[in-house]
Amino acid sequence: MSDRRRVNGPSGGTHTPIFSKYLAKDVKELNRPTRVRAPNVLRKMFLKTGVTPSASGSAYLEMEPPRTRNAIGPGLASLSTSGLKLTCTVHGPRPLPKNAPFSPHIILTTHVKYAPFATRKRRGYIRDSSERDLGVHLETALRGVIIGDRWPKSGVEVIITILEGEEDQWWGDDRGRGSISAGEWGMMSVLSGCITVASAAIADAGIDCVDVISGGVSAVVRGSEISDRLSPGMLVLDPVPSEHEEIVSACIVAYLPGRDEITDIWVKGDIGYGSQSSEDNPSYEELTDNAVQAALGSHRVLVGALKETAALKLAR
Amino acid sequence: MAAPISIAVPGQLLGQASDFLPGSGTHIHNSKLYASILGPISKTIPPKSQGPQKRLTKITPAEPARPATVSIERGISLTSAKDGGKKAEVLPDVNSTVLCKVTRIAPKQASVAILVVGETVLDGEWQGLIRVQDVRATEKDKVKIFESFKPGDIVRAVVISLGDQSNYYLSTASNSLGVIMAASEAGNAMYPVSWKEYKDPETGVSESRKVAKPF
Repeated sequence: MSDRRRVNGPSGGTHTPIFSKYLAKDVKELNRPTRVRAPNVLRKMFLKTGVTPSASGSAYLEMEPPRTRNAIGPGLASLSTSGLKLTCTVHGPRPLPKNAPFSPHIILTTHVKYAPFATRKRRGYIRDSSERDLGVHLETALRGVIIGDRWPKSGVEVIITILEGEEDQWWGDDRGRGSISAGEWGMMSVLSGCITVASAAIADAGIDCVDVISGGVSAVVRGSEISDRLSPGMLVLDPVPSEHEEIVSACIVAYLPGRDEITDIWVKGDIGYGSQSSEDNPSYEELTDNAVQAALGSHRVLVGALKETAALKLAR
Repeated sequence: MAAPISIAVPGQLLGQASDFLPGSGTHIHNSKLYASILGPISKTIPPKSQGPQKRLTKITPAEPARPATVSIERGISLTSAKDGGKKAEVLPDVNSTVLCKVTRIAPKQASVAILVVGETVLDGEWQGLIRVQDVRATEKDKVKIFESFKPGDIVRAVVISLGDQSNYYLSTASNSLGVIMAASEAGNAMYPVSWKEYKDPETGVSESRKVAKPF
């Protein structure tokens, strides 16, 4: 559907074009961000609740941007890589619209929207299919955690704006080797962040939940240092797509630590064809377990942020 | 287990369900009591009932200790508003007293907008309905809606049902329930003179309402 209500900017990148001598050289010489964390270490996370005064509940989540190994390269903003920045507002519980049928429990609606400037390629103002997909996954994840019976005849809206999205691959790979198109790996980290930030905002809004839900991502990645044969796959937590040459598969879970339950799981890529898990080919279970470990990591941040907010409010 | 001011996050274990009674903001899962909202934990221990201990001639077994009620206070789940006392949203529930404003009257019913539940001012406006048979307890067949309410009146009522898709059903069938603030045709605030009459202090005209007992 085309957007006829606004004067849209030209589709394409949101970053200024680069006319740099560095670009004339081989792609490999540009400093690709590399993973400096250990495979089982998550990115640093910033989470704060109560950022939007007009909403019943709100939260803001930010992830540390990836760093390049030798940061002496050109300091162009266009060459920088972004972290993840999400803001979530929760409106409700509020009355259902007049024409809605009677509902004995709360009606949950979720909206996930990329800001037009959130990614390197400009996004539209109307939600596209990937944004609707994220919304459906988020709704599935949250529905299992909210105690809907406590709020009859009411609706709650969870609205997430992605201010800075995760890139699907390193921008240097965009031109050079366009054939290896990454299968929207950035969406996985974005969804995980959405679940965590929505959970914080719902707790801030005072809507009854059975647990604090958090999202976690794990992936099997492959570098290409060895040119002859495929390098072995490696399991990492909280992958940043631009830091890896190739992502073989990724898994995101929405996890309830208190109950040891998963409300949403999404696995993408080649996984689980080997019956035995090996160094080279981790099994499906291993991938999921690692995603749960990542979710546990973000859960600790979440609980810390929530306790901080509550203590702040009590002190006033 | 918990200090009086400790803060619970949703899903936090509060204790065995056999040791405590679940209050607001908590839920039970696998016979354990968990928190379900963010807030400070409060415990209320029921007062010891003064039973038949006075009779010294009879030995009765000690009354079993009643469990404390554990609840999470909802009050702090608010956005960082300056007014400091804004409570989180509370829904109208059956038997809760509400304050509402009459929006429309019809021969069989009065439509109202619920503004306050208990002590809490609501953010949204919830629709309510006072049917003609729920206006007062006696002589229900003689009630006329247009002799009981006018649009703009502030009414104290009690919720009798969650109602249909859009309306809560309210009742004013009690002495303490009914119109508490009303304006006359001339637009002046009126004062109640009897259980069914309000009077305009300036023009001296009385109008009929279902008046709530002032005290």
